[in-house]
Amino acid sequence: MRSHPADYDLVVPANLQAALSLLANAPDSWLPIAGGTDLMVQFAAGTLRSRRLVSIWGLPELRKIETSQEEVRIGAGCTYSDLRKSAMVQSEFPILAKAASWTGGIANQNRGTLGGNIVNASPAADSLPALLVYEADLILVSVRGERRVPYLLFHTGYKKTTLVADELIQSVCLPRRFAGYVSYTRKVGTRKAQAVSKVCIAALARMENGMVQDVRIALGSVAPTPIRLTETERILMRKPLARLLAQLAASTAAAEVRPIDDIRSTARYRASVVGNLVSDFIERLGSTQQGTSQVTSEVLARWNRLNAQEAENEILPCCGSRAWARGMVSRRVLRDEAATLAASDETWHNLNESDWMEAFRSHPRIGETSARPSLDSRSAAWSAQEQSRATAADDSVTAALREGNCEYEQRFGHIFIVRAAGRSGSEVLQILRQRLQNDDQTELREAAEQQRQIIQIRLRKWLRG
Amino acid sequence: MKTNGAKRELSLIVNGEVRIFHAYPMERLLDVLRGQLGLTGTKEGCGEGECGSCSVLMNGALVNSCLVPVLQAQGSQIMTIEGLDEDARICALQETFLELGGAQCGICTPGMILAACSLLRDQPQPTIEDIREALAGNLCRCTGYSQIFEAVAEAARRYSEHCSEPGSIR
Repeated sequence: MRSHPADYDLVVPANLQAALSLLANAPDSWLPIAGGTDLMVQFAAGTLRSRRLVSIWGLPELRKIETSQEEVRIGAGCTYSDLRKSAMVQSEFPILAKAASWTGGIANQNRGTLGGNIVNASPAADSLPALLVYEADLILVSVRGERRVPYLLFHTGYKKTTLVADELIQSVCLPRRFAGYVSYTRKVGTRKAQAVSKVCIAALARMENGMVQDVRIALGSVAPTPIRLTETERILMRKPLARLLAQLAASTAAAEVRPIDDIRSTARYRASVVGNLVSDFIERLGSTQQGTSQVTSEVLARWNRLNAQEAENEILPCCGSRAWARGMVSRRVLRDEAATLAASDETWHNLNESDWMEAFRSHPRIGETSARPSLDSRSAAWSAQEQSRATAADDSVTAALREGNCEYEQRFGHIFIVRAAGRSGSEVLQILRQRLQNDDQTELREAAEQQRQIIQIRLRKWLRG
Repeated sequence: MKTNGAKRELSLIVNGEVRIFHAYPMERLLDVLRGQLGLTGTKEGCGEGECGSCSVLMNGALVNSCLVPVLQAQGSQIMTIEGLDEDARICALQETFLELGGAQCGICTPGMILAACSLLRDQPQPTIEDIREALAGNLCRCTGYSQIFEAVAEAARRYSEHCSEPGSIR
């Protein structure tokens, strides 16, 4: 039932000491409230565990970010917005900055605090896996003094913690020893903002000559508390990256979590997403080793300044659809590769079927060595590169491809689109034969997905000059 | 029923004006604005910080007023949709929302405009991604969002032109 404010008391102590004294005198009756993003929801629902609240919002002792040589101490009263804006957090603890950016929306980020997120102890909290991988310590404070506890040991069960009733979290200490680590984080949920995650992951690794020298992986929403995947980490430690290792790590991770069925997802889906996220992380480690994650921003800087027509013409060969090119231009300013790829995916998905067809038509048939004369020269050169493995096939495969292409075009009314980069002629042939079994709608979606991947590859090439 | 709290005299600076009123400390800022102060432009949607309808600026920061106990707002500067004279960005946004179909039923509109105003204060020339992110906490069931994003982008253009005209900066 909805609460009536007359039944509740709220006091605002002048400083941290005054707040701690209140808690010390009647520890079980006072409930600390910071930005209220969780507690005010409980208040509205009539489920608050106490009718006496002590406000710790805005206490300056809890809202500092202090830096020493060894560590950064983040006040528990710092909001998600404080974390996002902190240059120190952004540069040394990027996973935490990222997690803060997809917690709630801006209004909740302006009020929700890191300490509140920890004490609320939701297994789905977005910022908590980050604290696990950075091996945070918590400083807990009461009138009795301070104690320092590893965050790893703080949660003892679903919504249970080691915090004593007269204590507050004062700060979160992050050791400054993760320079040079590759970081990876994803939130899987219905949308980035507001939605509670189905699964969230934070992962860090230090690589040396293709070997995993140090690794830590933490997950939210897959157990009663946020957890570290210690068994998966053990499998990866001091191993060279390889496909088999990635597969083993993914299946170990999926078996190591203890997800449940609830309104947001199912245990089975969550376990399978965990496996996919872990293998995506390992793939990222591989590509970082090859230096492919670098962003060539000079290309974007120049393109962002072009007039609309020039910009449209320049980016058009990456896709072939005029509507897509216009959509990309309308999304300027694009700041980096990630933003460019995201803008492309969104633009592509929102096009009409006729725009997709226009993009499909811009490709030569797979297996044909010469491009049609109407093709843009850059698009033709890229097609040649992408199809180089496929076109190197022997004569019988080439002939089968030609035949298959004809059959496909008669069946679906457009040319066969497949991401050919890295695929041999016989692989492409196999895919072509499978896709001939699809119904029209499934095949249109499949072709659009293949084209989306082709666009991504081309955008990356374009951005790297 | 046992009563813990008692009403007390509190004050806010709302849209530049000092307002004094009596309220329970745990009353929601939203209810004080709408009830005691008669500023019904701020809307209640979900009442649990999910929809952004009740967005206002508290000391310049966007907040959901349904999640703020009024005692925590004591003495602060609050800007609501009625404060459009206080900020030329809000005027520009109001115009472009009207012209470009950014408002339909109107429940989300005041919150959208406050969220957009907060964005334009930090980021006068936002990208479309910036706009989408800044408004991601504000839900709209009518427009499908595109018109809202366009209205914000257009308001940013007009406001920056307006600022570049000599003598027009507020």
